[in-house]
Amino acid sequence: MGAYKKEVWFTIIMSLLFLFSGHLGLFFSFFPVDGYFLGFPIMYIIPILSGWFGVLILVIVAGKIGNHIDNEIEKENQENAKIGGRGVV
Amino acid sequence: MENQVWQLSNPLLGIIVVFITFVVFYVVAYLSNRASTSVQDLYATKGGVGPITNGLAMASTYMSLATFLGVTALILRLQIPFVMLWIQFILAIPLITIIYGTSLRRMGAYSPTHFVRERYGKEASIIAALWMILVSIMYALGQMIGIAVTFETLLGIPYMTGLFVGGILIVGYVTIGGMSGATNNAAIQMVIMALMFIVPLGAIMKAMGGTGWFFPPLFYADMIPAMLEALPTFFDYKYPAKWYFALIPALTIGSLGLPHLAMRVYTSSSLKTARSAMIWFALALGLVFSATYAMGFSGVFFEYTTGIPIAPGDADKLTIILNLAYNPEWVTALVIAGAISAGLSTLSGNLLAIGALISQDIVTTLKPDLTNKAKVRLGYISIALGGLAAVLLAIKPPAFLIVSILWAFGLAGATNASLIIMGVWWKKANRFGAICASTISGIVYVVVSPFVFPKIVISGHALTDSMGLSGGMLAVPLSFIILIVVSSITNRIPSLMSKEAITENDGLVERIHGWSDINPQRYNSTFGALFITSISAVVFIWSMMPWAF
Repeated sequence: MGAYKKEVWFTIIMSLLFLFSGHLGLFFSFFPVDGYFLGFPIMYIIPILSGWFGVLILVIVAGKIGNHIDNEIEKENQENAKIGGRGVV
Repeated sequence: MENQVWQLSNPLLGIIVVFITFVVFYVVAYLSNRASTSVQDLYATKGGVGPITNGLAMASTYMSLATFLGVTALILRLQIPFVMLWIQFILAIPLITIIYGTSLRRMGAYSPTHFVRERYGKEASIIAALWMILVSIMYALGQMIGIAVTFETLLGIPYMTGLFVGGILIVGYVTIGGMSGATNNAAIQMVIMALMFIVPLGAIMKAMGGTGWFFPPLFYADMIPAMLEALPTFFDYKYPAKWYFALIPALTIGSLGLPHLAMRVYTSSSLKTARSAMIWFALALGLVFSATYAMGFSGVFFEYTTGIPIAPGDADKLTIILNLAYNPEWVTALVIAGAISAGLSTLSGNLLAIGALISQDIVTTLKPDLTNKAKVRLGYISIALGGLAAVLLAIKPPAFLIVSILWAFGLAGATNASLIIMGVWWKKANRFGAICASTISGIVYVVVSPFVFPKIVISGHALTDSMGLSGGMLAVPLSFIILIVVSSITNRIPSLMSKEAITENDGLVERIHGWSDINPQRYNSTFGALFITSISAVVFIWSMMPWAF
């Protein structure tokens, strides 16, 4: 897959994962559950944990993949320049 | 039981602590001043801020006075729905960074409107800038009122005196330090806020009998049974799923249009540090947000287990009330300093955004031949004018404080978010689409807010309408639909779109994504545009159907 497609899919998938992670309240409003986790009601503590640690994990992943895609775009730029490329920006 | 008066018995203590914090901020601003010689220095610190400082500054700018005052009050009033509303705010900087922040950083933009000008032209950028000024002033207004109210109710300083003295002091230190001073101050303010919020909360929990006082943000499960006995409905979601969904367009997408948040991404020294800053942002913000929910929980716990009622007018002071009830007065004085810090850091971000909008996006757009020195001077004057406007508007404050801040998110979403997001990811977005989307959606959002025409509202639920949740669910998707549809139509009229302009725009979109060539296959998806239009249409229609509270 080219760097462009990777960039687009990375942005779409990461955005959706971030939305899910920060909006678990919406998920539970559609699919309520009973029960407790770490002494708290699940529908209270899971959105809080996901909105903190879930987002934290995602930003670490997003940072790494984002840097990787930047490098790939740079690599493709160099390859395009070698073969003559299209109109230069 | 009679309502108690919640105030420091010795206001001098609070005044001394607040005075010391102001001195610290002035010294930091003075030392940070790198003699701004260009507008880029003033608004983006020459792009030289490291990840930890920037991450903390991002969190600090975002965590307004509302975290200390309004949020806990609304948790006291609404309980779980407001906790769920607040959780999603952490998404702002990560989403800004991955969706458009790094692209605009690559372009060298110092404000989102700078991008709008390059992408859509002068007319669109002036319209967007005018909306953003309204957004920033509404946001700044909430902070300014909060600071003056804090001075008045907690320290005994009259409202008008607090407003003018506070306003002048804040404008002074933002003007002295520019973005560089504001960034370093914001990072320090983040640490002050976290300490002044979390440590006293631990002491409060311990006094209430909680055993998890050593880490208050998450360790209060042992208080749950007593809470459920006192208030069995505390953990109920209360509102329909549609209410929780409306948070996405109104607040999550809305935050993508806030200029003072996006500007923090541009101050990073590189794209890599911008991405690393997200980590510090999420860590710091998650910590304080979780502590905020714990503070709200403790407030409800206090009211229902002790039987001491907190009057509706005192709800905003919940954090201070708990400290007055359980901690020594000097601790409460430090908490007040923390609350003032929270207001200051956000306000400084707002004022810098207003300065950039007035000086760069409006005056310089209309008069591009100004000298660099004149531009910097104009920047300083604009910052001061923005502060003055917020002070003057706060003389007769509206009845809502945090509500005005939340309302501003929806307005930013309706007027700016679609322009920036589609402008970065879809080459076919053009100036006609941008102008129509920003103007029409902005007007629709203002019209359906209860502050202008109280009878024209979407949900009929007072708080939902005044926070802009229902208006955002209507106007934000409308903005995407108008932008895509109008752009698609006008792109087919050759007399409206010159080939040069199209090539220039295509080049800009490619360049901000890091490409050095133009490929017509990239950022041109018709399917993507159709998909977004369809989703937006569904949300738009859903917003107008009955809300069933």
